[in-house]
Amino acid sequence: MEITDKKRILIVDDSFYMRTMLKNMLLDAGYDVVGEAPDGKTALQMAREKVPDLVTLDVILPDNTGLDVLKGIKQDNPDMKVVIVSAVGQEVIMTEAAEYGALHYIIKPFSEDKVLEALSNAFKEEE
Amino acid sequence: MKGREQEYREIFIAEALEYYDALSRHISDLEKAPQDEQVLAEIFRLLHNLKANAKAIGFITIADVSHKLETAFGMIRNKELNFSDEVVTVLFDGIDMLGELITSIDSPKEVEPSPALLRNLDIIINSLSDNSAELSKVQKYYNSKNLSLSDLIYIQIKKLDHLLNLVGELIIDRDRIFSISKELDNDDLKNVSAHLYRITEELQYSVMDARLVNVGSLFNKFPRIVRDIAVAESKEINLDIIGQDIQIDRNILQIITDSLLHLMRNAISHGIEKADVRKKAKKSPQGNITLSAQNDRDTVILRLIDDGKGIDQQEVKRAIVQRGFLSADAVNDLRETEVLSYLFEPGFSLAKEVTEVSGRGVGLDVVKNAIDSIGGRIRVDSKKGEGTTFTLFLPTSIAVKGALLCQVEENFYAIPLMHTDSVVALPTAELHEVGDLLVADINSETITIVSLKELFNTDISEYSVRKNDLESDVQNIIIVTYNNRKLGLIVDKLLRQQDIVIKALSRPVNTIEIYAGVTLLGSGKVCLVLDVAAITRYFIARR
Amino acid sequence: MEPQNIRDKKDVAVEEKVHLIVFKLGNEEYGVRIDQVKEVTITPEITRMPKTPSFIKGVSNIRGDIIAIMDLEERFKIERPSGWHAQHTYTLVMEAKEFTMGFIVREVPQSLTLPVSSIDKAPSFIQDININENFIEGIGKYDDRLIIVLDIYKILTSDEISQLKS
Repeated sequence: MEITDKKRILIVDDSFYMRTMLKNMLLDAGYDVVGEAPDGKTALQMAREKVPDLVTLDVILPDNTGLDVLKGIKQDNPDMKVVIVSAVGQEVIMTEAAEYGALHYIIKPFSEDKVLEALSNAFKEEE
Repeated sequence: MKGREQEYREIFIAEALEYYDALSRHISDLEKAPQDEQVLAEIFRLLHNLKANAKAIGFITIADVSHKLETAFGMIRNKELNFSDEVVTVLFDGIDMLGELITSIDSPKEVEPSPALLRNLDIIINSLSDNSAELSKVQKYYNSKNLSLSDLIYIQIKKLDHLLNLVGELIIDRDRIFSISKELDNDDLKNVSAHLYRITEELQYSVMDARLVNVGSLFNKFPRIVRDIAVAESKEINLDIIGQDIQIDRNILQIITDSLLHLMRNAISHGIEKADVRKKAKKSPQGNITLSAQNDRDTVILRLIDDGKGIDQQEVKRAIVQRGFLSADAVNDLRETEVLSYLFEPGFSLAKEVTEVSGRGVGLDVVKNAIDSIGGRIRVDSKKGEGTTFTLFLPTSIAVKGALLCQVEENFYAIPLMHTDSVVALPTAELHEVGDLLVADINSETITIVSLKELFNTDISEYSVRKNDLESDVQNIIIVTYNNRKLGLIVDKLLRQQDIVIKALSRPVNTIEIYAGVTLLGSGKVCLVLDVAAITRYFIARR
Repeated sequence: MEPQNIRDKKDVAVEEKVHLIVFKLGNEEYGVRIDQVKEVTITPEITRMPKTPSFIKGVSNIRGDIIAIMDLEERFKIERPSGWHAQHTYTLVMEAKEFTMGFIVREVPQSLTLPVSSIDKAPSFIQDININENFIEGIGKYDDRLIIVLDIYKILTSDEISQLKS
């Protein structure tokens, strides 16, 4: 049942705990979480199948690195928004991520406000 | 009550224990193959997650130890630190320490990391010199806690669904064995089957119990949602939530999620008035909405109560006529609850304008279909000027349902209790002929009475029953209720109340509207389950 | 690759066969492909199912599965031979895609293997039979017997069945 035109989000994180927290925050904030991927392969597949409006992407993943997923997503769909979710200490990766088109970051541990701010900033671009 | 914090905590611990097990495994692998970059990357990832999760939940010591270990492994990856015997010992100690900290989260005794170990870790990550002489011996202690497994497992709902289906099948066979043992009159067999009966019953409840979640897991999302809708509508809302700890099957909660959201949106955008309007009506400027849950035997009752402007019966009546559902005369005969039940008809919506968040073509009919699909029931009560209440009657569990068994001709039929209102024995003389139908006055309500025998044996468009057609002087009538409307069904014999497992009819006979499915009785007899919704819909439309 | 080729050649040499379950309706013999027959059983108790056409005799419990039972003679308006009495009938449980149905037959069905070449796909005398030609896959000949091979899926999805809605 489609009631609203909620923004559709795909969560990519290898930690179930992180995914649960993030999912709850996003659902509470009125986003639609269309999928959760624990690794890069699933992430790319879900991004293709579900075509979310935005992907929250953890950069350290079990199979390939988050950056490969980022590249893959942008290759398939350059307009899909990607917000990098990463713990402190990975600033180097972020610079690299920016080169591939990820413009927004969430730093772990994240507060609800920060997450929502990053997402709404990402969506603001299109207006 | 299990709140979200507790849920997070359980998830954190379970996942952290997994990480700890994996870390212990990988570091042993690494000792054998110190150059294995994949193993190194995996250890790094696990420590990284553990650190981030621990920080997020506020277990600072775990976060700190993980961080130190992560840094050390990062240096090993970058060849800034040698994987020497001394370093290996410190890293092993560090990972053991992590395990110790994780397993003791829920124990009353607080565990402090050994200061000697922390110092050792600092030494290997800070001093690039290879002076390992500074490393001090850390006392090692193994106990069962290091080897403990998580008390919590995750299970896919699909697996629980499968388990519940199997239990359903088992119950059918159990009932069969039970009745055979009665026929055979063998004491041993009777004892065994009585025992089997108890065990399967317990099994059924255990499986059902494993699928239960708190209504709160859905209700707790509403304060935020309500706030957002209220802001968009420029309204002030005070939300009360009651009964979060009532438990219900996870799939049922999933299915009604959208419905509840939709009703909430309706309540705020169409129900609650703007503050100035409320003040004029001598109401508090804040609109009040209550979301409540309560148990009633096998049913969970959810209520969404608002003190808004209520539904205007006259307006609904006008719409019923305008949309051609009934003639103006027929509308005037409707009882209040019947009038409101038209709100659930497809395409019936009272909203004159579509506000930002509600409406959009999805009406109450969709809500109703969702609730029908799980064998639930919805009703609406409203007083103009005082507010509206939606009540959802939901089964606690999907598979097993209470049903009333009856007999018509040689067949047994089951009617889900969810849809039965009462059972009456009525003298045939008290039935009245109105057109082709019979009606009766039962508890001062005029109710259409349908003879199931005639319904089964004549083409539905030619259905017509006179009092003379009925055989006996007294009629056994089951009053069923669907969508606030009542219908009396004449049966030959009332049998008993029983828990049944409803199976779907297989194709191609699954399309016959009057059946909701089929069930097997303990005797092995096939018993068709009547679809009260379909039967009621037909006769209401006809009247 | 070599053994595969040999096997292929062998298949061409050996004539393709079709395995049928054969039963009598009226005075004629009919067959269905064995892969569509889930099982053959003595017809269990049938619970009448009101609001279905008269050729649907009802539903039965066959090993925990609830299956609708159809009388093919009634379905195709085939006259029953007179003076026919038997203790019980048999039910062929048929499966075609996700459709399941039991067919009542009066005598024990037989199993028969025919060469595919002996089945005539487009028989010209089909008008003589009461059955809609769409339901017939072909006519098989076996010695001097004539076997009408039925297309189960088409029977189970025909208009009369799919429009069971009241």
